[in-house]
Amino acid sequence: MEAVEVEEITRVFEPRRRSGTRVVALDEVSLTVPTGEIHGLLGPNGAGKTTLVKILSTVLLPTSGKARVLGHDVVDETEAVRPLIGIVFGGERGLYWRLSGRQNLEYWGALYKLSSREAKERAQQLLERVGMADKADERVEEYSRGMKQRLHLARGLMGDGKVLFLDEPTTGMDPLAAREFRALIGELRDEGRTILLATHDMVEAEMVCDRVTLIDRGKVIATESPRTLGQVLSRFQRIDVEGVPLVVLDEIRAIRGVASVTAVDGVGTRIEVDEEGATQLVLERLVSAGATSVRTSLPSLEEVYVQLIGERGMEI
Amino acid sequence: MSAVATTLNVMQHAFRAGIADYRAIFTWKSWLAGWYVRVLAQVAFFALIGERLGDDEKTYYLLVGNSLLIAAQVGVFSLNMTSAERWAGTLPLLVASPSSPVVVFSARGAYLAIDGSLSALGALFIAGPLFGMDLPWPRVLAVVPLTLLVGLASYGFGTFLAGIVFRYRSINSLVVVTTYVSLMAACGVNVPLSYYPEPLELLARFLPLTNGLLAIRGVFAGLPAVEIVGNAALELAVGFGWMTAALMSFNRLASRGRRDGSLDFGA
Ligand SMILES: Nc1ncnc2c1ncn2[C@@H]1O[C@H](COP(=O)(O)OP(=O)(O)OP(=O)(O)O)[C@@H](O)[C@H]1O
Ligand SMILES: [Mg+2]
Repeated sequence: MEAVEVEEITRVFEPRRRSGTRVVALDEVSLTVPTGEIHGLLGPNGAGKTTLVKILSTVLLPTSGKARVLGHDVVDETEAVRPLIGIVFGGERGLYWRLSGRQNLEYWGALYKLSSREAKERAQQLLERVGMADKADERVEEYSRGMKQRLHLARGLMGDGKVLFLDEPTTGMDPLAAREFRALIGELRDEGRTILLATHDMVEAEMVCDRVTLIDRGKVIATESPRTLGQVLSRFQRIDVEGVPLVVLDEIRAIRGVASVTAVDGVGTRIEVDEEGATQLVLERLVSAGATSVRTSLPSLEEVYVQLIGERGMEI
Repeated sequence: MSAVATTLNVMQHAFRAGIADYRAIFTWKSWLAGWYVRVLAQVAFFALIGERLGDDEKTYYLLVGNSLLIAAQVGVFSLNMTSAERWAGTLPLLVASPSSPVVVFSARGAYLAIDGSLSALGALFIAGPLFGMDLPWPRVLAVVPLTLLVGLASYGFGTFLAGIVFRYRSINSLVVVTTYVSLMAACGVNVPLSYYPEPLELLARFLPLTNGLLAIRGVFAGLPAVEIVGNAALELAVGFGWMTAALMSFNRLASRGRRDGSLDFGA
């Protein structure tokens, strides 16, 4: 059985006021996540990620279409779905700040129908697992942002959900915590859980997911392996540089794999590369020309989309 | 665990969460110095007015009424509970859990019923003798459960208001003020119900303080037990009714939220 099946889900938000506009947050989205997969839902702001996660976690109704979690309809069979899922969303909310971390977990344990003893045991295990055991009895309001996030993850695991919905779970974490978090996601998969990870972070999606569905403006663009994503990421690079003589820029423009060289306000010159290996040649040339302040960065998600779509001759 | 056991377990945890909220605001010392002294002062103020009028009966009338008003007012504070929940951003998570949010709300603010009752009893049993009121032993013991009943009924009413305030955020303070004034003016705190036109008296019977207060006055006046129990039963019914209405409105709130998208993750 598939863990998550989404069939042509559409969700329209009608305007609350007469002057408001109608938003099609999801437009006939279909996707399938087999049991045991870490599936990325990658898209820029407003793509519809949270909307889909909400529908799957039974807190929002679709306008049309069907969705099932482990075979149960998320609209009609909420009682069957809810015990099977765990939810984690980014940010600092969703916790009781005046309770301790441990009390929060035990509270949710009760809501997930654990006996007090089971809840105590699981809370302790999870606190250790997310590295919060030594802070467990402090009030949440005293936690740092990243600590709240870790507690949030533990909270999402209190019900021992077989399918986990993670919506931007690493927002607010420092890089080290985010790395540990990703390792933990891998462990959860190894325990046989299925994970749907909504994110706008391409690197995160590439690192942890088995497959990634790219969505934009409510539509699925493609489902890719993270390797394809990785290739795109390593091929397309952006180099920002200041104070380079025009002659040198002309030379760089001639290097194979350099897509564009443009002047950008406030940045200096932006060089975009679209072939593996070209970045290195460009950097070498810049350094030998004595350029200072050279910065490389990843392309934006939109740019990657444009590339992927362009290559496939797809239309948005 | 059985369905009943899991429900009670959720209520117990929700109750404890409420207590933790409260303990973050008050310590024993600050409760006594900051709150309880205020309660005593408020009750004494009205009792002094009665003394000014040179009438013991009026003094005791005001003293009992204003003491019990405290129990009702504190119970009704539970209407703030949902703003707390909204602020915490936990509502979508409650809805997505296998338990009903309604169960949580039925217990989350119940500490207020206890706090209100203790404050009221404390005021009555300290200010009462100070003003020379005698507490007919052991009859007076009946006042304790009756006060708790008023606290609980008011908690049910407050929970109902919480559901309204949740949906119509903008009228939050209007609801608070109106409730406060109606409890004080219409429930027989300072003047007997008979003072008002009959329709108003009937309406007042639906508020969570009126019947309980009549029962308690009956205890002090030495009325027959039937009459006291009758009023107590009405108080219980009113509290139960409001609580049922509250739970239904929370259910509707959740299903509406699913439809219109107002259950926001963390927003
Ligand atoms: N309750 C709502 N009422 C009206 N419009 C909404 C509501 N929720 C979402 N939308 C709109 O639906 C679209 C998709 O939003 P959604 O939150 O699903 O995007 P997202 O991919 O999660 O974005 P982000 O990366 O910003 O979290 C947006 O245009 C948003 O404004
Ligand atoms: Mg989102």
